[in-house]
Amino acid sequence: MKKRVLNFLIIMTLFVPSLMAQVERTDFMRSIGKIYVVVAVILTIFTGIILFLIYLDRKISRLEKQIEKNG
Amino acid sequence: MKSSWWKILGVALLLYAFIFGLLMPLKPGIYAVTPDNAITGTTSLIRVEGYNTNFTKEAESIKVWLKLNDTFALMANKIQVIDDMALNASFDIPVQLPIKKRIKNFTLVMDHKVDGASVSPSAVTLTQKADKVDNISPQWTTNPIAGLTIVNKFNFPFRNILYETIRNLYFHVSLWLAMMILFIASVVMSFKHLRSGKPEDDWKSLSLTAAGTLMGFLGLFTGMIWAQYTWGSFWPKNEVKLNMTAVALLIYLAYFVLRGSLENQEQRGRISAVYNIFAFAALIPLLYVVPRLTSSLHPGSGGNSTFGSEDLDNTMRAVFYPAVIGWTLLGVWMGSIMYRAIALKDKILSR
Repeated sequence: MKKRVLNFLIIMTLFVPSLMAQVERTDFMRSIGKIYVVVAVILTIFTGIILFLIYLDRKISRLEKQIEKNG
Repeated sequence: MKSSWWKILGVALLLYAFIFGLLMPLKPGIYAVTPDNAITGTTSLIRVEGYNTNFTKEAESIKVWLKLNDTFALMANKIQVIDDMALNASFDIPVQLPIKKRIKNFTLVMDHKVDGASVSPSAVTLTQKADKVDNISPQWTTNPIAGLTIVNKFNFPFRNILYETIRNLYFHVSLWLAMMILFIASVVMSFKHLRSGKPEDDWKSLSLTAAGTLMGFLGLFTGMIWAQYTWGSFWPKNEVKLNMTAVALLIYLAYFVLRGSLENQEQRGRISAVYNIFAFAALIPLLYVVPRLTSSLHPGSGGNSTFGSEDLDNTMRAVFYPAVIGWTLLGVWMGSIMYRAIALKDKILSR
């Protein structure tokens, strides 16, 4: 499972720059008064909050396991 | 439910900031001027593309000038409206420029009864090919820029290059202010821990720092995206505020590394409290003093130290301050969940 996630991340880091280059060419981000820049910014914040949630989720899962083990 | 009123408040304020921050239209403005150059002594047709404009309404009230300074401005003698967003202005440009130079940038000023006045700086470059004529044509002064319409609508300002990204004020700048408030609260908790020695205060300080650091990194990433499409680079060279921010965030990352490396709880609490206080003491000059000593692309740098009325108008303030409080409360919420997890872990381990 962990390996799969890692593979996905590596593939993403390889692909994202090429995706961005495409965006630069078609100038999607600069269309409609650059509104998609705001969209990208909001998505970044969303991703950050989700990552924090995942971190907390794992932390609390560990606690649950500990409670189960110790009774 | 009673004790979670601030969570509801935080979410409500963020919801307000998202709805108004994204749906409020921009003021009308000039998006593009083509061609951007003309030769004197000819009749030039210049196409003006508007943004959120209504050229077809009261089209006869539209006036367009090419402005050199307060004295010299040339008014378009004919305006042909194509649609709401585009018009052609025809200028009879005199042979001689009203200055000694042969090439000069002119600002395009437009006035409209419906949309109000708008400006496009350095829009058209006029080139004087002919030799000097003795006197300056009276055309430069007969129709001065006067009686500009000011429309007081509740809209966000239109800024060249920024355009719609001016809305990032609520999703980038407010994150930094939220981070500052969270860090201040964390420092207060650190002081409290040093005085009382209670581990709870240490955990509170840790949780607030974690939430603040998250806000800081989000501020950095959102800023990088914004910079790419306004300043032309994810990490502009010699942009001192970015570099100093990176240093400050690394100092805060080291805080977590330091905590992880200490085993004894009492020792870890005290050392990390002292480190947190010093990290905050380093953050202030890094983020707020050094960028002001040199020039920076960020507003409020290189001299003027606060947001001026030009950077932040009242419409934006009405969304910006609630957004700051909203992001701060969200950060406190995130921190409080982390604190509860830490406290629970301690309870389990000490059983």
